[in-house]
Amino acid sequence: MRLDGVRLLLIGAVLAATAGCATSEEWTTWRSHTSHFASGPHMGFSVRNREGTAPRVSRQDITMARNENWWGKPITVSQEQILER
Amino acid sequence: MSGRSVRLAAALAVAGLLASGVALGLAHAAAPDDRILPAEKHTSDKGRALARKYQRALAELNAEVYHCMPWLDVRHEGIGFYKPRHLQGDVRYLSLNVEVDQQPSAEFSALPVHDRASRMFSRYVPALLRRMTREAGLMGEPLLEGFTVILSWLKQEPRPNERPVLDTIAVFLPRPQVADFLAGRATAARLAETAHVIAWDGETKLGEFRVRGWEDNFVATYRIANYQPASEVTCR
Repeated sequence: MRLDGVRLLLIGAVLAATAGCATSEEWTTWRSHTSHFASGPHMGFSVRNREGTAPRVSRQDITMARNENWWGKPITVSQEQILER
Repeated sequence: MSGRSVRLAAALAVAGLLASGVALGLAHAAAPDDRILPAEKHTSDKGRALARKYQRALAELNAEVYHCMPWLDVRHEGIGFYKPRHLQGDVRYLSLNVEVDQQPSAEFSALPVHDRASRMFSRYVPALLRRMTREAGLMGEPLLEGFTVILSWLKQEPRPNERPVLDTIAVFLPRPQVADFLAGRATAARLAETAHVIAWDGETKLGEFRVRGWEDNFVATYRIANYQPASEVTCR
């Protein structure tokens, strides 16, 4: 009985950590309202967003979206060519 | 597994979940500190003195851009009291080097480079200068000669298997010109006229050229849909 209670606690903790994942509709909404960013889902975004609420986008979401979607190392001037320390 | 061991495992699991949540929250709130050139990496006493004196102001600038203008990415060590290469002597400008994360429209990419540069100057340079000078002491700082804003942006969307190419402008402004602009004695158009601007197409230097400037309220009005800064951050 005691073991069952502990199992229940563990299952509850896991459910609490994974609950409220963003729906595909929320992702579509976010994608369609930003001209700058798009991203696949990740845990930080999923944990905060629940069914029926507007998705919340954090600074970390934006950084991750940018990293996921970037085309690769850009051709650009280095800062050292412009400035000296 | 004994009842005691199970209880211990359960306690550790819950503590781990809570700890990871706390760590995640802290990671969200902090701006990356590698964006500021450390004081000891400045190569003159003057640069190091400025960096130490205004350490807090630089951290606040870094945090404000990170949280409140999240479509801008400050380059590694992109904030510091650097010496512009084209100037003689140990001339120190407060510098901010950012990449603008935007998907260029076909219309924007088709503009001549001077027009692209003028649009980006008007959109960002006045707004960033206001943020760079929030620390009132900077405008009266005798060791500080001016301000540099470096902007890079995607020239056009790359084709498959093509590396992206960035346009870059480096804008250099002596302190008196910035003071006139901040005090309302000079317009954005005048600021552009007095700026020393050098441009690059990817790695190719295009040289010095003039840009036009005008009032642009994009930074004041643009919001990323559903974006919420960290709760302890106040954006002005």
